[in-house]
Amino acid sequence: MGWFLQNAWLIPLLPLIGFAVITLTPIQRNKNASAWLATLLMVAATVIALGTAIEVASGVKIAADGTVAAHTEEKAYAAEPAADKGAGHKFEWHDPNIVRTIRWAPAGGDVPFTMGYIIDPAVAAMLVMVTITATCIHLFSVGYMAHDPRQARFFSFISLFTAAMLAMVMASNLLLFFMAWEIMGLCSYLLIGFWYDKNYADPNQITPRQAAIKAFITTRIGDVLFMIGLAWLWTEAGTLELGTGPGQVFNPELLERLATTTTGIGISAATGIALLIFSGTIGKSAQFPLHVWLPDAMEGPTPVSALIHAATMVSAGVFLTARTFPIFQVSDALPIVATIGAFTALFAALIAVGQFDIKRILAYSTLSQLGFMVAALGIGGWVAALFHLLTHAFFKALLFLGSGSVIHGMEATVGHDSNTAQDIRNMGGLRRFMPVTFLTYMAGFLALAGFPGFAGFWSKDEILADAFRANTLVWVTLSLASLLTAFYMTRQIMVVFFGTFRGHHPRQQPYAFISHDNHHHEAHDPHESPWTMTVPLVILALFAVFAGVVNLPFDGFHHLADFFGQEAGKLNLLVMGISSAIAIGGIFLGWLVYRNAFTASAEEADPLEQMMPGIFTVLNRKFYVDELYAATFGIAAAALARIWTWFDEHVIDRIVIETGRFTQFLGQVNFIIDDAMLNDGADLMATGTQVAGDRTRRATTGKVQDYVALAFAGAVVLGVLYLYLVR
Amino acid sequence: MAYLAYASTPWLTLLILSPLVGLALTGLAGALRLDDRTVKIGATAWSTIPLALAIVVWAGFNPNATADGQGVVQFVEKVPWVQAIRVDYFVGVDGISMPLVILTAAMTPVAMLASFNITERVKLYTALMFLLEAAMLGYFLALNFFFFFIFWEFSLVPAYFLIQGWGRRHAADADPERRRRDAALKFFVYTMAGSIGMLLLFQFFYVATAAAGIPTFDLITLARLGQGLTVERAPLDPVDLTLREIIFNYVEQLGIADVLGRYPLLYTSIAFWAIFIAFAIKLGIWPFHTWLPDAYSEAPPAASILLAAVMSKMGAYGMLRLMLPLVPDAAQYFGPAIGALALIGVVAGAFGALGQLGGDLKRLIAYTSVNHMGYVGLAVAAAATVGAADVAARATAINGALFQMVAHGLSTGALFLLAGMLAERTGSDEMGSLAGLRTTMPVFAGAMGVATFGNLGLPGLAGFVGEFFIFRGVWASLPLFALLATIGLIVTALALLRMYGQIFHGKTNERSAMPDVRIVGREFLAVAPLLIALVILGVYPAPIMDLSNQTATALAEVFTRVAGGA
Repeated sequence: MGWFLQNAWLIPLLPLIGFAVITLTPIQRNKNASAWLATLLMVAATVIALGTAIEVASGVKIAADGTVAAHTEEKAYAAEPAADKGAGHKFEWHDPNIVRTIRWAPAGGDVPFTMGYIIDPAVAAMLVMVTITATCIHLFSVGYMAHDPRQARFFSFISLFTAAMLAMVMASNLLLFFMAWEIMGLCSYLLIGFWYDKNYADPNQITPRQAAIKAFITTRIGDVLFMIGLAWLWTEAGTLELGTGPGQVFNPELLERLATTTTGIGISAATGIALLIFSGTIGKSAQFPLHVWLPDAMEGPTPVSALIHAATMVSAGVFLTARTFPIFQVSDALPIVATIGAFTALFAALIAVGQFDIKRILAYSTLSQLGFMVAALGIGGWVAALFHLLTHAFFKALLFLGSGSVIHGMEATVGHDSNTAQDIRNMGGLRRFMPVTFLTYMAGFLALAGFPGFAGFWSKDEILADAFRANTLVWVTLSLASLLTAFYMTRQIMVVFFGTFRGHHPRQQPYAFISHDNHHHEAHDPHESPWTMTVPLVILALFAVFAGVVNLPFDGFHHLADFFGQEAGKLNLLVMGISSAIAIGGIFLGWLVYRNAFTASAEEADPLEQMMPGIFTVLNRKFYVDELYAATFGIAAAALARIWTWFDEHVIDRIVIETGRFTQFLGQVNFIIDDAMLNDGADLMATGTQVAGDRTRRATTGKVQDYVALAFAGAVVLGVLYLYLVR
Repeated sequence: MAYLAYASTPWLTLLILSPLVGLALTGLAGALRLDDRTVKIGATAWSTIPLALAIVVWAGFNPNATADGQGVVQFVEKVPWVQAIRVDYFVGVDGISMPLVILTAAMTPVAMLASFNITERVKLYTALMFLLEAAMLGYFLALNFFFFFIFWEFSLVPAYFLIQGWGRRHAADADPERRRRDAALKFFVYTMAGSIGMLLLFQFFYVATAAAGIPTFDLITLARLGQGLTVERAPLDPVDLTLREIIFNYVEQLGIADVLGRYPLLYTSIAFWAIFIAFAIKLGIWPFHTWLPDAYSEAPPAASILLAAVMSKMGAYGMLRLMLPLVPDAAQYFGPAIGALALIGVVAGAFGALGQLGGDLKRLIAYTSVNHMGYVGLAVAAAATVGAADVAARATAINGALFQMVAHGLSTGALFLLAGMLAERTGSDEMGSLAGLRTTMPVFAGAMGVATFGNLGLPGLAGFVGEFFIFRGVWASLPLFALLATIGLIVTALALLRMYGQIFHGKTNERSAMPDVRIVGREFLAVAPLLIALVILGVYPAPIMDLSNQTATALAEVFTRVAGGA
């Protein structure tokens, strides 16, 4: 017992080894070897993660001195939640199953700063989710990236990413959490910009390399505030270790102190820290107002969108808030969390309705679902948020991989032009060409739409039930977002898989299409993808259908809540009925509007656009947020850069130069005066010499070392002059 | 005096002398008319000797030794020199100088390897490089103001000649060498002029301490007096005055206090600003930074590396060695003021770098240095600022500052090195017309990527550790400044990423499709150690940070109370 817990550090290490080996050894010249090495290492990591989770589930605890205990009654610490700050569930931090740390750096004086890993049920659940989805996505990529010349680099980067994600989940303190978090950001940058030399005919269309910078910088805005939050927390707590012990960040006395300390701006220290930490969530989980990077991140290869921008990295933001929840519980930040989450859920769902790019629809859907999770945390539904995080990871990864399979199939017909191959108006009737993709996509669709019985239904329902009890406005907003979710997903399904195939006569691009390859695809029909791509789809589809059973809202079936050791959500048949009606109603509405859409040609206008063109344009242009940012922050940054440069050159440097000139001028004046005096007043000169002589005499102390020093200095100078003149 | 641990072997003297021996050997090579390539190889080989000596010192250095309220100064050699004015030959290392000594010794071989494309007056060039190294090492090791100041000023001479004689040529200008001459002159005169105040100040310290019966130029003694630690005039005859009181008594004695006012803080403040300006110019603290982009960009690659990686740290080191311990009361009082200047530098450097996009690559890197040294300035300010911050927070700020200096030395050194290699291949530092180099030179692009991300503070690379520890320290004293400084973090990242994108991403064009794009062995040898060090220190910072921790903790102690009681 306990082997997996003792050796859990292998879980992030294995993909890290994959990264190092592929990057540094000649194996990178063999594309297949790189791909399969990375994939097999992920399988190994998955096995260890599963073993770890089983040990956690069976209650194995390993103390700091190495003693193994099973089924211990642990002591739970609970921060006192304020009266009406949530759904009535209390989150309690339990002693983890294992903590292993080493000294990492001094923290001033004799205090050490430690780094290490920690395993508790929440970590174990995340490890299982991340390793399984990552393995599926690795396997899918073997097929999807098979024809890319930079395949080895791709696998090296996603291995590094997975290692960072796993390390973040297991981090024993918030600094390590942050470090892994930022390395994920780096991988996101590298992988979004994977096709760094890609250009579009339309100069205004964002290229992968621009999208990569946009993603990195936008998330960094959240990240630096998160970092400041950590600096603050460290200042208050003395360390950043997760735990309830003395000097750790969830220490009850510390939380008490944070909740009662009022800062200069009128909020409690706990609220300030919580909001700063939540800024990290806003950036990484792409919540409003920092959501703009995620849709453009779709410029990366589709497996990247599935792994990083759907299943794992973006949900890391939610995990951060969940991980530091004891601080949020004693703060006043939760209403803000709930508001931002609920608003993003609805806002992104609205935008998704107006998009035509198959991946961007899913991206906005991801934003919206992350909003659900954030809102769930904001109303105190900790278990519901994590439950939805886990199920969403599976079915959204499935949908992205399915879209990748669709794009892969479409490229056989329309060629490697992403604008054409990803436009849902050019698709239609694909269910006949790609049956496996179709069936698995349907599973993901029903899960996301919240169709009763599918994984997404149970998790979303738990959020809605919590919201119903805690905050009616949040509940109404999220319900509206659910309706839209069912609607836009039905729209996508109808246009992509049903109707007639339109890919042989795709929409005309406003700009001439630059072909990356010259062979003609037009004669082919779309085809089903190879087994490496369909097998992961099937595995993920099983999760999309059945993952809900881990936490059914019936007594005796709250397995996940029991696993976490937290209070389970209560069954609310009214809410469940309403959610079911919303899901089915949304699907019906979508079917009604889109059943005859694009039947004649891909050039048709969207039925919604025909009904209300103004609103549709606003949705299609994403409420003009990008344009707004470009017109404000973009212009301000450019202007500031120009102003600083100008100020440097024309003011500060000018002062320096003029001071220099003035001094030179004074020197000249002095010289003239001296000259006149030298000519006119020999007396003065004689006096001057006398004084100088006096000084020299004082300096000549008669000690040998003085002469040695002078001689040495003279020799050095002469040596330099000699070399300088001799050349 | 337990705070001085004398050396049994004069390692530090050997360390200072070893580059001078290199200089002598270069002269010998000149006399023997050896060819340039042999000289370059020999110089590179010889430059590992100071490195080896520095490692010997590092291995023998005990970072945990503290005594009498300060980190123990180790490997001390103290020989009376000019007795009339109490000038001793006094060298030693403590936690503050140790990381910088290692950095200096480590960066010189890199700079030597970056010098292989120098074709004119190679022997003189090599001699100047050795001279520069000796001066920098001497500066970090000297503990008597006389030598400290000589090394400080003397380091300007080789740097001046290196910029002026081997800097960039601008073919488009009427006089292709005018800009580098101007840059060299500005650099030289500015630094020199700025340190006049400090020179006068120490003359004053000497006469003031002489009036108190302990005439001294000894930096350790002055620091102990400044911090209110015991100093013995003679065995069992302790001085019961602090430096502040000594200064004030002397000012009173001269009658100046009757004119200017009887405020001890006034006189320590004058001292504070005299020291600050001298070092702020060197460190490139806003608004004293304008020499820096000129000097860094016009210098030859190797000199850029040494200027940015090591010489700018001389300023921060001076602040930690002199400014904080000698006049802690004034440092406490003016902490927010220098913090504000540093903060402006953080933001100005970041936007300045952004303003260079599409233009001169080396100027852009220089502006990011202004930004990064701003963080160091901020940390120094935060360590001193009066307030509730505990000793751990202040020590962490100093640890962070020193770590940031090492990390910045490595990453900026690597960036200038790579920029030099790029200019060698493309003919200029203009990045505007470059594109898609990642396709033609992937290994180079990878190396530049690591250096760039190391520079912008990506966790896992050394730069982050320094920045984070600085922010943690600054937050405790100056939270608003810490919050505003994050603007610098974001904008620098934007500037560096766009710079990287400009050069390496996009479609390859004619200028990027160069015949010789591979990294040769020598270049690899220069850049790989820097990148490896960045990764190692980023993953496990203790080897460097432990060096400074106890000394920094002892130094920070004085700031946890109101120094001087006023």
